[in-house]
Amino acid sequence: MSIMSYNGGAIVAMKGKNCVAIASDRRFGVQALTLTHDFQKVFEINDKIYIGLGGLATDVQTLSETFRYRVNMYNLKEEREIQPKTFAHLVSSTLYEKRFGPYYCEPVIAGLEKDGSPFICSTDLIGCTTFPNDFVVTGTAEQQLYGMCESLWEPNLEPEDLFEIISQALLNAVDRDAVSGWGAIVHVITEDKVITRTLRGRMD
Amino acid sequence: MPYDPHPNHEGFLNSVGSPIQHRFNPHTDNGGTTLAIAGKDFCLVAGDTRQSEGYSINTRYAPKVHELSNGSVLATSGMYADSVNLVLNIETRLEWYKHKHNKTMSATASAQMLMTVLYQKRFFPYYVFNILGGVDEKGEGCVFSYDPVGCYRRETYQAHGSSAALIQPFLDNQCGAKHQNIKEELLTLDQAMKITKDAFASATERDIYTGDYLEIFVIKKSGVTKHKFDLKKD
Amino acid sequence: MEILFGFVGKDYALTASDNTAARSIVVQKRGEDKSRILSKHTLLSYNGEAGDTCQFSDYIAANIKLYEIKNGVALSTAACTKFTRRELANSLRSRNAYQVNLLISGSDPKTGVPSLFWLDHLASANKVNYTAHGYASYFILSTMDLYWHENLTLEEGLGLVKKCLKELKIRFIGNLPDFFIKVVDKNGIREIKL
Repeated sequence: MSIMSYNGGAIVAMKGKNCVAIASDRRFGVQALTLTHDFQKVFEINDKIYIGLGGLATDVQTLSETFRYRVNMYNLKEEREIQPKTFAHLVSSTLYEKRFGPYYCEPVIAGLEKDGSPFICSTDLIGCTTFPNDFVVTGTAEQQLYGMCESLWEPNLEPEDLFEIISQALLNAVDRDAVSGWGAIVHVITEDKVITRTLRGRMD
Repeated sequence: MPYDPHPNHEGFLNSVGSPIQHRFNPHTDNGGTTLAIAGKDFCLVAGDTRQSEGYSINTRYAPKVHELSNGSVLATSGMYADSVNLVLNIETRLEWYKHKHNKTMSATASAQMLMTVLYQKRFFPYYVFNILGGVDEKGEGCVFSYDPVGCYRRETYQAHGSSAALIQPFLDNQCGAKHQNIKEELLTLDQAMKITKDAFASATERDIYTGDYLEIFVIKKSGVTKHKFDLKKD
Repeated sequence: MEILFGFVGKDYALTASDNTAARSIVVQKRGEDKSRILSKHTLLSYNGEAGDTCQFSDYIAANIKLYEIKNGVALSTAACTKFTRRELANSLRSRNAYQVNLLISGSDPKTGVPSLFWLDHLASANKVNYTAHGYASYFILSTMDLYWHENLTLEEGLGLVKKCLKELKIRFIGNLPDFFIKVVDKNGIREIKL
């Protein structure tokens, strides 16, 4: 058993046309035992950036607190909001600080850049970043999500279509993973607002 | 099946200098993906043709979907050598059945037989994940999905092999109408062909063990037709 | 084999813990109270590795008390949990991590709204309505899935505890004879005898 699949979970982020979406399941469990179905794995950094943390739950919580602290410090020092690209590097260096005793956590980041163009990024557990132009996935349902996203996603989706695609991708993926699911949450970030919806899923 | 860069039969001294163990592992995974979808009056069975071992490709064209003499189609993924032997075994039995009973074996009977054949080697299995597709006695499409030791089940759609995890949720969605507010209905041949091609195109993007060519067999009461398509070769 | 579970009711949070201090196959003591009072309205219940549990909960209780003395105001239940979680998470990366599982139950002194937090030895924290630790969770969680609801009166709550203990008695090999049942509500922390 890998420590990365101890608590289970699945997170996905996708680019759209002037919008970006990020979604996660809501299960918290210890191996096969499900304990709660309202666990938070996607965190708001500001109204243009969200981060999803997949992996060991304790590190999900520790890292979410660390990022909150570091982004607050950045905002105070720089007197401006952090940009997605800058935040991705903050995440990367935070993880690499613990190169030889890592946080068992693989983040995905979704955000809108200053010019309104979508931004997504994923890193491994020691902070190696990738910036694809379609979608990023992480968690125990990674393979299933890759299969779903690769066949459902298309470029230039409008916010509502993007919501439908990311929801279908996530819901169907987690149903083929024993340690993910139990409901889902989706955020679609657009220029003027963030649409957040919680989804019902299979509870088994 | 994750790739093991140090298979234990290679026998080099490991870094800690502990004794070299020579344990031969008779099974290997040659990768590849198979899929089958049952329709009202047809069955579609598909598979890619890449055969690989570790990070190398042995050949770009090694069909793993086999048309059997009774008009059913057997899709095999896992270990190629075992699958060749399994098909040989099955074909022999189909022929003997024909001589004995003066008729070809039905798809459902061959499904039962395949289970027996696999379970006979319960403690040294054929390392093959099978999907058997055909048309049953009522003329309806049937798909049977197996594990290597013969545990099987009739399904309406199934993916096996290295991209099973990628394709199966997609089939749940598109064939099983999961998470859609529509009734689950059997697909038409056109729909099934489209979904199969999409599924393999997607799997080829992310799975290094799937690619080169896609072979699709369509089984109807009237007979079997074979289609071949290109997949990415990288 | 230790048993620790709890839930929130209408206006209280309840935790039940076995009172046996055992090591391997030997019972060392009956009547061990495996909990610490963090403040008038917050209770920390624990189980796990024998030495670690006392050391860690004493450390947490003392620091939370220190905060209260320094600032003249007690930490909320959620804040106690955040602090405890962080301490446990930091210890996790050390050579000798504390092997403790915790429940933190409390009640808001002003509004009387109860809350319960679950923390495991890896320092994952969760706000829950009902929960359990260890092997007992496999039996108790399904019992509480069936019978728990958010308007449980104290009387109904004690009925639920009895149902859980009965289930353990029937199906759990490590069934333990006696329990400490502690309730936190607007008036503070008190022990209840079944």
